[in-house]
Amino acid sequence: MSGFVRPAAPRRRDRATPESVTRKVARNVGVPLLSIVLLLALWQGIVVYFHVAPYIAPRPRQAVLAVTQNWSTLWPLVLGTIRETVYGFIAGAALGIGLGVIMAKVPVLQRLVYPVLVLSQAVPIIALAAPLVLILGFSVTPKVVIVAWIVFFPVTVNVLDGLSHVDQDLVNLARVYGAPRWRTFIQIEIPATATPLFSGLKIGATYAVTGAIIGELAASDGSSLALYQEHANTNLNTAAVYGTTMLMTVIGISWFLLVVGAEVFATPWQRRTVARRWRRGDRSEDEPAR
Amino acid sequence: MKASAILELRDVGKVFGDTVALEPTTLTVDEGSFVAIVGPSGCGKSTMFNIIAGLLSPDGGEVRLHDQPVTGATGHVGYMLQKDLLVPWRTVEDNITMAKRLTGRVSAADRAEARRVARQYGLGEFLRHYPSALSGGMRQRVAFMRTLVTHQPLLLLDEPFGALDAQTRLEMQQWLLQVWKDTERTVLFITHDVDESIFLSDRVLVMSPRPGRVVADIVNPLARPRTVDTLVDPQFVTIKARIMHLLHGGDA
Ligand SMILES: Nc1ncnc2c1ncn2[C@@H]1O[C@H](COP(=O)(O)OP(=O)(O)O)[C@@H](O)[C@H]1O
Ligand SMILES: [Mg+2]
Repeated sequence: MSGFVRPAAPRRRDRATPESVTRKVARNVGVPLLSIVLLLALWQGIVVYFHVAPYIAPRPRQAVLAVTQNWSTLWPLVLGTIRETVYGFIAGAALGIGLGVIMAKVPVLQRLVYPVLVLSQAVPIIALAAPLVLILGFSVTPKVVIVAWIVFFPVTVNVLDGLSHVDQDLVNLARVYGAPRWRTFIQIEIPATATPLFSGLKIGATYAVTGAIIGELAASDGSSLALYQEHANTNLNTAAVYGTTMLMTVIGISWFLLVVGAEVFATPWQRRTVARRWRRGDRSEDEPAR
Repeated sequence: MKASAILELRDVGKVFGDTVALEPTTLTVDEGSFVAIVGPSGCGKSTMFNIIAGLLSPDGGEVRLHDQPVTGATGHVGYMLQKDLLVPWRTVEDNITMAKRLTGRVSAADRAEARRVARQYGLGEFLRHYPSALSGGMRQRVAFMRTLVTHQPLLLLDEPFGALDAQTRLEMQQWLLQVWKDTERTVLFITHDVDESIFLSDRVLVMSPRPGRVVADIVNPLARPRTVDTLVDPQFVTIKARIMHLLHGGDA
């Protein structure tokens, strides 16, 4: 008996009792929120305790006020930064996945291209901005290019790594069934690479906003969040400087969380033992007994 | 009804570099039979399966299935390894229908069949589960159902129970015999467990290491159904003694 029926019932996490939901929310939302609150408290504590001058560091509340009171000015700038981040991330992710797949499938290309990719990451991003502006002008494009430049690399490396570690016995099994290679790729190799792919995307997501801000600093003639902050700095408006930094951080974290959310949605088997959605199209869960 | 040959190997051999993995081998397998292949690790058992399945091309010779040449071609056998090779991102039901998904569309009838088979063999409650929720024995049963629903008449099972504990393995062996009886397939079953090879089979092929070759072809006269008592039957012990002798370098 022992081998056949391991604790047959699904693990408790799947049975969404009210208690477990509360605990789950507490664990996944409450604890991270607590860490942010603690961070703000530490900031407040240091500023108050050491009597830090307001022009060196404002209190958290003043930084937040500097944002909310100028929200109508800031909002379009925030939107601009978000746009650069999102476009750049999508372009970088697409490029990264494409390169990873091609390099995994064509070993010659892998040896040829890999050094170039590493080289691309050795170029200081700041130094990249000037030629990009010369080529692309002061549009949104150079910022998108910078973000993509940063994002694609961890994606490529992880996709390549994931694809080259797909269980060859599984690929062979598909061959025994008579599966064409493209179906094996879609049904086996791609899902098997989901976890490393999302690792790459999450790394890319954390750096994407940094890329956008660097792009705004180096390749912006008009208005942007980075220039707003620089302007506030020149005017010794320290609260606005800190507030803008907080804003940039919030954009970065939000984007990261969105990617995490996409991963949770796309890889349910990593958290669940039972499938949640079950063949919506299939009417007959119970076919007639034989 | 007289049994006819389902599989024929004619002088099929394989050399890797300077390792003779499988000496040119000739053998015939009757339709509906259960043939065990026993031999030490590295004697070319898996190589023989890979050639039959079409994953490897033999250096020479021919593989014939139902009297048709299939050398180097895939898509004509069921195949299962010690590793269950279930995909973690698919439910039990979707793992069972995997072959269809890899070669075309999974129809409602395919899904219904997967459910019926799973229910019939005690996994009905787990259709919606991901494989991570299952024990090793259950996973192997799912892997076997996946092999069954390909409807291939010839099943190649390469040490399918090798990773299970002794108790579970015995249960799985009895279960396999039941399914084999129900579904009337031909089974080629690799193992390095002599007891297992005798317990399951109609016929035992004994292989020797380096160069890998079949050194004996033993007809197994033990009556079916096999039970735990079979394991202490005097005939069982006689065959076992003979195989052990062969595996340790004796003459046929
Ligand atoms: N792809 C391969 N390349 C080189 N040598 C191999 C390959 N596959 C198997 N061999 C060698 O062939 C011999 C038989 O292997 P295998 O058929 O896997 O043995 P078994 O399944 O009986 O343990 C072993 O010596 C093994 O190292
Ligand atoms: Mg083997």
